[in-house]
Amino acid sequence: MDILASTFFDWGVNLQLLVSGLALGAIYAVVALGFVLVEKSTAVLNLAVGEFLMLGSYFGVAFFMERKTNIFIGTLVITLVMALFGLAIHYGIMRPMVGQGFFAIVLATIGIATVIRAVVQMWFGPLEKGNLTALPTGTIEVAGTSIRWVDIIILLVVLGSVGAFLVFYARTRTGLHMRAVASNIEAAAGVGIDPDRAYAITWAMAIGIAGLGGVMLGHFTPSVNPALAAIGLRAFPAAAIGGFTSVGGSIIGGLIVGVIEQLAGGHFGTKWREPVAFGILILVLIFKPTGLFGQKDLERV
Amino acid sequence: MSSSLKIDGLSVSYGPIPALRNVSIEVPEGGFVSVLGSNGAGKTTLVRTITGVLYLQKGKVTSGSITRDGQDMTKLKTRKIVTGGVAQVPEGRMLFPQLTVEENLRCGAASRRDLAGINDTLSEVFDLFPQLPPLQNQLAGLLSGGEQQMVAVGRALMAKPSLLVCDELSLGLAPLIVRDLFLLLDRINKEGVAVLAIEQNARIALQHSTYAYALEVGEIVLEGPSDELRENQEVQDLYMGGGGDSREAYAAIRREVNR
Repeated sequence: MDILASTFFDWGVNLQLLVSGLALGAIYAVVALGFVLVEKSTAVLNLAVGEFLMLGSYFGVAFFMERKTNIFIGTLVITLVMALFGLAIHYGIMRPMVGQGFFAIVLATIGIATVIRAVVQMWFGPLEKGNLTALPTGTIEVAGTSIRWVDIIILLVVLGSVGAFLVFYARTRTGLHMRAVASNIEAAAGVGIDPDRAYAITWAMAIGIAGLGGVMLGHFTPSVNPALAAIGLRAFPAAAIGGFTSVGGSIIGGLIVGVIEQLAGGHFGTKWREPVAFGILILVLIFKPTGLFGQKDLERV
Repeated sequence: MSSSLKIDGLSVSYGPIPALRNVSIEVPEGGFVSVLGSNGAGKTTLVRTITGVLYLQKGKVTSGSITRDGQDMTKLKTRKIVTGGVAQVPEGRMLFPQLTVEENLRCGAASRRDLAGINDTLSEVFDLFPQLPPLQNQLAGLLSGGEQQMVAVGRALMAKPSLLVCDELSLGLAPLIVRDLFLLLDRINKEGVAVLAIEQNARIALQHSTYAYALEVGEIVLEGPSDELRENQEVQDLYMGGGGDSREAYAAIRREVNR
């Protein structure tokens, strides 16, 4: 707390923290999206969402560090491969487990998480890799302060792709059917929507976007290492702000958590980042359990 | 006369528990048929079997068949059944509460491939229910019971069905609203859509249908033209709170079936 006075009103520092906070928050938004979308649509608590991002970062290492793949092609391939991985998880694990208890399925996602961590360490070794540098690494002067290009690009890429997803979810026929399954699966089946297909698409999209988020995370972080998976826990404060049910709200929740965390870390020291993030979680759960955007159950009887 | 739906000797059970035994029902093309029954009679199981969602409750058809125009549809998936022209208004409405009225209606067209025709059907449904267009962008969960039931009927019509299966349309609704809904069913029926109304409210069901069946404890115990059944003492005792001994009459039928 001793450095509080020196930087608190330094607007240049604050601007830097705000931009990097938004970039970090955008990555959190991806985490929260992967968590809330799956939870809302398939009623599965996906506790492996952090591992999926971490896997995306390591795919980034394989493509951009070891092979110098073009950033556009590489990111596209990683996103698609991760989406296929999402399909495999649905058809290989989740569908055969339909009808099993909630807890059994949560345990299965923890199993998936553990397997991903083990495979990544076997494949890439236990040592840290540097950060990814396929995105522009320079800085740009804004109002006398240098802002990292990477932060700006991450923010734009994530907001662009998440925004595209939200438009798909809200405006297309397939998106409508996904929301119908999330709202009332029996009714959805009754009108001839195939819930299984909706689940498969949900998993593919959630994990595909997590892969994209992983590439961004690999650029944001100073080093790619298995501990990046801990970012999965950030889904909770972000999703709590969104009320755990609002896909759009959890994205804004991610941005809020990222910015507050960077500001707290920048002014008070990085050891404050986690307590602040999870302090938000606890405060929201106590004072506004439905989140800023969540809705109470809409069932008028 | 060709039939819109023919159920022949159908038996269904949930694990070891039988829910329907040897049930035979026929809906003629363009007909209006009702199935009466009290709680636990097997009405909902019947609807689930027709619409192919029995598997969700782990129910199984143990014998018999459901055919449409001679085509077997006993084991078909719901999607195929809906594409084949059978749409349902499920018990308790079963709307998508977090989706808007229009989105709920559009979900009814999920099985359709003629995407261009969906908007036309939507405006037809809005014509049929003039109360709905102003509510178009409201969340369905916030509507009144009567409005919700209209959305549920409209949603079923969005599939352009040739047979509409209504499960307990009257449940929990005020008598006037029930009357209006059945008048609408008449109108839909006149336009050539066959209607199968599964109803606890025998009075209204017998008023609007031309033929009716009574289902008790999983079996058909009575059937006949609706106006005849309306005069039937047993039906009056059982479903219309007619004579003072309705309770005994009901108990007698249950005993007979259980034997």
